[in-house]
This record gives sequence, C-alpha cells and structure tokens, in this order.
Amino acid sequence: MTLGNASTDPLVKVEDIHTYYGKSHTLHGVSLEVGRGEVVGLLGRNGVGKSTTLKAIMGIVRPSQGEVLFEGRPITHLPTHRLARLGIGYVPEDRRIFRLLTVMENLRTGLDRRGVTDARKKQLLEKVYDYFPVLAERRNQAGGTLSGGEQQMLAIARAMMLEPKIILLDEPTEGLMPRMVSQIRQIIDVLHHEGAAILLVEQNVPLTLEASQRIYIMEKGVVRHHAVASKLRVSDAVIHQYLGV
Amino acid sequence: MGIPLEQLLQAIPFEQLLIQTVNGIVTGMILALVASGLTLIFGIMDVVNFAHGELFMLGAYVGVITLAATGNFWVALVVATLTIALLGAAIHVTTLRPLLGRDPLTTILATFGISLVLQNYALWQFGPVARKIQEPFTGHFTLFYLDYPWYRLVIALLSAAIIGALWLFLKFGTYGIWIRATTQDRVMAQAMGIPVPSVLTVVFAIGAGMAAASGVLFGPLVGVNHAMGLDWVLKAFIVVVVGGMGNLGGSIAASIFIGLMESYASLWVSPAQAVIFSFVVLILTLLFRPTGLFVPTPK
Repeated sequence: MTLGNASTDPLVKVEDIHTYYGKSHTLHGVSLEVGRGEVVGLLGRNGVGKSTTLKAIMGIVRPSQGEVLFEGRPITHLPTHRLARLGIGYVPEDRRIFRLLTVMENLRTGLDRRGVTDARKKQLLEKVYDYFPVLAERRNQAGGTLSGGEQQMLAIARAMMLEPKIILLDEPTEGLMPRMVSQIRQIIDVLHHEGAAILLVEQNVPLTLEASQRIYIMEKGVVRHHAVASKLRVSDAVIHQYLGV
Repeated sequence: MGIPLEQLLQAIPFEQLLIQTVNGIVTGMILALVASGLTLIFGIMDVVNFAHGELFMLGAYVGVITLAATGNFWVALVVATLTIALLGAAIHVTTLRPLLGRDPLTTILATFGISLVLQNYALWQFGPVARKIQEPFTGHFTLFYLDYPWYRLVIALLSAAIIGALWLFLKFGTYGIWIRATTQDRVMAQAMGIPVPSVLTVVFAIGAGMAAASGVLFGPLVGVNHAMGLDWVLKAFIVVVVGGMGNLGGSIAASIFIGLMESYASLWVSPAQAVIFSFVVLILTLLFRPTGLFVPTPK
C-alpha cells in the first residue's frame, strides 16, 4: 500500500474494476479518474453499468477485481459509511429519501457527525436553504410527501451535508420538468464553484456536455470513449454511435 | 350456550369486573414492555428474536444475584438491564452481524440456537428450583374487598415510563434519527455516513435490556426459573403479530387488549384456559388481518 501524494493523485481513481450481479458480469474492467473540483460526465445507454460504477465507488457494490482509490488510498474494502465520512456524497438514481423522516431529519442524517460545530451546522443548513428555499419551507414535512423535483433537491442537499469532496450524481434530472432540470443544472455549477468534484451520470447529453469538463462514454460494462467535453458536440459520430437510438 | 348476556354479566359482581380491568392493564403493560423490545428488534433489524424470552429470564437471574448482593431492588433492576444489554450487544456482534443480508431463516435458526444455549446454561448454573425476587415494597391498598398490592401498579407505571423513554429516544436526538433512517433504507443510511452495523448492535442491546428489565420487574410475581421466558415470549409474539410486526404503538395497544381479554376471560374459565382466547385472536388476526389489527390492511 502506497501513501499517495495528495496534490498529484486524482481525487478518485477507478482501476479496472469488475463486478458481478449474481452470475451476470456487469462491469468488465472500468477505469476512470476524477480530479479535484472537476465535473466529469459519464454517458451511455441504459444498462451499460453507469450506476453500477457509482455504486462500486460508494462501496455498495463490491468489485471482485480491480481497485478504487480515493486521494491515492485504496478504499475498495472500506465500508460505505466510512467512505461517506471520507468525503464521498451519493445521490442515487431513485433519490432514496428517508420517506418517514422530515426534511430536517433527512438533512441531519448527514449533518450530525463528530467534529461539526453547531455554528458550522447552522451555516451548512442556511446554505442549502438558500439554494433550495422550498426545503426550508417544508423542513418539518415528511420526506415522502415532497414532489419528485423537491425530493431530488433534498437528495442533493442531504449529500451536501457531508461537505463532500466529490458528489456522485446519478441521473439527477430524470423525470423532472424542464424548469427543475435547469435548476439542477445551476446547482451543479454552484457545487463546482465551491470546489466539489462531481461524477455525473446522465441521459441528458446536452446538459452533461455543458456541465462537465471531461466525458467518459460507456458501453456494455466498459469505458469506450474518453474526451474533453468542449471538444464533443451532440451531433458527433461518437455520440451517435454509443448513445443514439 | 343459550345463556343471555345479561344473565352472564349479572353472575359477575361489578367489583370483580373492575379488579380484572386493573389486572388486565397491569399484565398488559408488562407484556407491552417485553413485546416492545421484540418489535423494536424486528421492526428495525428484520430479525425475529427467538432468544428474547431467555434474555428476559437471564435478566431476572441477574436481578436475583444483584439483589442478594446489594439488598436493593432498584440497583438490581439497573444492573440486570445493563448486563443483559451488554450480553445482547455481544450476541449481536458474534452471531447476528455475520448473517447480515442473508436469508431471514438463518437469523431465526441462530436466535433459536442462542435461546437453547442460554436456557440450558441457566439450568446448569442455577438449577431447576425457582428463585424469588423480593418486591421493593409490600404495601397494599384496598380495591373493594381485595388488598391490591401497590407493587403491581408500580410495575405498570414503570413499564409505561420505559416505553415512553424509548419512544422519546427514537423520536428526538441524533441516534433516534440514525435508527429510523436505518429502518427505512439501510444502504442509503450507510451512504450518509451512519455506521449501520453499530446502530443495529445498539438496537439489539436496547431490546435485550428491555427484556431484562421486564424480567426483574415481573420476577416478584412469578418466581424466577430457567423456563420462565417461554410463557411470556409466546404471548409477546402473539402481541407483536396482532399489533402489526414492527409497529411499536400497535404492540402496546395489542398488549393491553390481550391483557384485558385474558383477565376478563378468567372470570369464567381458569387463567390457563384464558390463554386460549389469545391464540384464537392470533389465528383470527392471521386469517383476516395478517398485517395486524392496528395497521390498515394494504390494498
């Protein structure tokens, strides 16, 4: 085990991971990197292993082979709750709000950690209430009573409570109205400006190309293409090949 | 049959009906204390704890020993609760944590195995002769023609207080939020940094401690022996099913319901036969409202 140099290592490095779901081989050697404060898009059709890649980073799915490194340290065998405390925030595809907990209690699941002063807690809460005023209005309402868009905001706000160095965002705009989509788009920018890295899994190709600095395109459990986002256009052949219908 | 209800009621003096109401509520509250530990463990961990009765019994024995050493009932109650809570934590870490995520059947077998081990340990260690816990005070008050022991009322109140404290613990404070989040979505709770394996251990320890507390509280009424857990846990299981698995409020309501029903039934039949009524309720519940009497049947 090597102690990585924090300044040169990428924040998250995924090295050739393989995962199995039962007997089916879902990831066939995925490798990718996310730098500090970088927004990286992960594109691909349904079922190519994008969500599984995020779950493998979060320790929810255990790779049978390969390694995930965080700031140069292998984290493949750490339990999920330790990864969250290290600074990996997870916003899952189905949002997974604690439905019977109030909005405030949902936020407190990430906020009540050792080493966070009351002043800091207040600051963090004020920040997300500032970004998502609707959550402040509904702070005492059960999470399950929120609309889809509000639940998505709560899921992102909840992950922000961990003050993460990276947020794994799994299809945040899925099923949302256009107005909500642009709000999510703004939040990605805000998080980026605050210095958080984002690994963004999306079906919305234009949004992903716009919001990200680099793009990985996956097909059948492997990364097929890697490019700087500004060099890609929605009309490019490579996009058409891997994402077109 | 054929006896009209009025005639049946006339045969029972009104005072006796009231006495049985008090008795029913007292038994119901003790039952609620046993059952709430069981339903807590089931609701949060999805573990059906067949060793719950043995934790109840061992709690009573620790109470007996501590009472003999210190002479103070309340010290015995606290020591027994803490000791058995620790034992519960140890059982969870060694036996149940490795089974996390496996078929629920494996946890049933594991807890059943633990119950056999604990029961036979108690038989070997303490022998078959029942021990007695002396109640902390022996005062009586007059309930109609009966000298009713104060202690019985105190048990009911203490049970209510302990259950109330559990509710407050779950409702407010960080650990309560952690426990409820874990119940609702274990994976997401972990992704929020909640140490789920430790949370589960703590929940099991709390359930075990509550079983021990009820063992000590109830010891003065029944006598302590290695098989005392069986009866109570059987009833607690009925209550948990009738109240809706994992539903704390439902369990408490069902405990009082079963307690009252058995004590009214024993106006006509012997207390041993009165238990039959509980089983009839259990079977009817399973047939017609399998999610429990106090949970709306999902459509």
